[in-house]
Amino acid sequence: MEMIRAFFSRPAAASILSLIGVIVFYVLFGGVDLINLAAAASWMNFAANLGIVAIPVGMLMIAGEMDISIGAMIPAGSITTAILSGYYGLPIEVGMLGALGLGVIVGLINGILTLRTTVPSLIITLGTLVGMQGIVLSAAILLTGNASIPVKAPEWAKSVFGQLLGNGHQIIIVWWIALTIALAFVLHMTRYGNWIFALGGDKVSARNAGIPTGRLTISLFILSATSASFVGMCQAILFNSAQVSGGMGYIFNAIASVVVGGVLLTGGFGSVMGIFAGTLTFAIVNQGIYFTHIDRNWSNLIIGITLLVAMAMNESFRKLALS
Amino acid sequence: MTIGTNERSGGLGRLARRPETGSFVGLIVAYVFFALLGGENFITAPGWSSWLNTAADVGTIALPIGLLMIAGELDVSVGSILPASSLTVAIISGRYGLPIYIGIAAGLGVGLAVGFFNGLLVTMTKIPSLIITIGTMFGVMGLTLGFTILIVGSTGVFIVPDPHTKLLLGDAIGGMFQVSIFWWLGFIVLFYYMLHISPWGNWVFALGGDRESARNAGIPTRKLTIQLYMLSGFASAFVGVTQVITFGSAQVAAGSAFIFNSIMCVVIGGVLLTGGAGSVIGIVFGTITFAIVNQGIFFSGLDPNFGSIIIGALLLTAVLSNDSFRAMALNYAAKKK
Repeated sequence: MEMIRAFFSRPAAASILSLIGVIVFYVLFGGVDLINLAAAASWMNFAANLGIVAIPVGMLMIAGEMDISIGAMIPAGSITTAILSGYYGLPIEVGMLGALGLGVIVGLINGILTLRTTVPSLIITLGTLVGMQGIVLSAAILLTGNASIPVKAPEWAKSVFGQLLGNGHQIIIVWWIALTIALAFVLHMTRYGNWIFALGGDKVSARNAGIPTGRLTISLFILSATSASFVGMCQAILFNSAQVSGGMGYIFNAIASVVVGGVLLTGGFGSVMGIFAGTLTFAIVNQGIYFTHIDRNWSNLIIGITLLVAMAMNESFRKLALS
Repeated sequence: MTIGTNERSGGLGRLARRPETGSFVGLIVAYVFFALLGGENFITAPGWSSWLNTAADVGTIALPIGLLMIAGELDVSVGSILPASSLTVAIISGRYGLPIYIGIAAGLGVGLAVGFFNGLLVTMTKIPSLIITIGTMFGVMGLTLGFTILIVGSTGVFIVPDPHTKLLLGDAIGGMFQVSIFWWLGFIVLFYYMLHISPWGNWVFALGGDRESARNAGIPTRKLTIQLYMLSGFASAFVGVTQVITFGSAQVAAGSAFIFNSIMCVVIGGVLLTGGAGSVIGIVFGTITFAIVNQGIFFSGLDPNFGSIIIGALLLTAVLSNDSFRAMALNYAAKKK
């Protein structure tokens, strides 16, 4: 009961309603077969890849910060894995460590720059986004002479990170659900979670209350950059190759999922379950349209409308919750 | 508000505190660097035309984006307004053969309408403008794609403009310098007047400095915000119009690069996202620096991907040095949003 009550309490409410609204719309006007849709792998794979990035980004937004460098970290993670383990033939563990280590480094840079300056994190991560894009591309071209690098992962790595289950479902879905549960626990049941809300609510008071705001901010940036490079690493292992492009779409998609999920960009308000539901909504709008009679070119319009409606709902629910 | 106003002063300290000083230094360094690497081609007409053409397109959008950022707001919908306006022109005047001025008016109208809608939503709700304009970006992208497919059946539309329109909006002088460069210069003069000479510009700085006090001082903040969004909608629609006239075709997918590129020009030009500080000259310097790096890399013999690294490094250097300039100028750290 407690779980259900918590689920329908403030931040997630609008995203659940949007999710139901979109499905009803697709059934009524698009003639979607719900059983077909539920069994389909496409939207779930899409949601899992997006969701692993969206939750840490959402936690950063709850803490009042922003990270758009994830758009470069996804290809960076896959290219690093492929260069180390594919091109140089090192063991896959080295490639994986390299990809995740790169995430830690970039997250550290983002966090330190955000703390040491008064520059908004949106602008700082825009800088690291563009810089990392250039570094990834140049590294791939200079070291391997190619913008697409093959990599062959051993059986165990394949089954843990890049397996297709049953109906074409990627194993990353399991990782997504596990990460959702783990981060929901951290954000809503530990003191670290309380600290994150306090940080987003009022940074100065949070620091005065003895919260190590600096370390917390840096940890959140490391989490978001590393989860993005993790997604890239899984993609490289799954597809047996890494591409330098791709990833830019994740920036706005992740922010949209987080916002539909009821997180306040100005900080201090949101929930992991909300972000989860927001990601599901986004994925179903984006991929579910292929199961309808609706021309798929309208999907962006539906996303835009869903986003604006969800934001309006979020705002009025928040007013209700805070009044 | 002394920052951003146009004061004459000879002191070196004063000069270092002006928002555009850092961007001017960046510009010189970038130009010398690529002049050394790029040689003859870069410092003569081919080089100049290539970066000026780039600067004109991104710069026309960067000007109103810079004003919005000075006022403390963002607009990412520009990336979808540009193709929406190109396609409106191409569909009305190319596909249906109506006179070109009707197509251009409609294209610019699309930009003004989306800008008005953005401004209305931003002023009526408490939702941050980044989120609102992401919403309208997706919406306009969807409408553009949906209607284009519905009407034309493909994602690209062709148009053959008459010679007069071509001469005014889409010609290249000497086969190299596009007329959009002159339009950009016109916009620079106009925006300089608006921001730094007319009282309207003081309102923009006041809005970004402290919205509440600005309203209390009698500034029509809502009207001002809507006007700023209509300006950025209009400017991106204008670039869409010049592009469709120049290339003779409009593509659904064009424009998304302008979102981050225009923000980067503005930030390199010394405008901070936190609002209240910046100048038109700084934005112009930032745009030119961006364009020189962006195009100079092709003349330099370096791997083109190094361009991104340089731009990323420039951006971080710019924000960090602006940060210290600001700290020097204001003697206290500005409050973060």
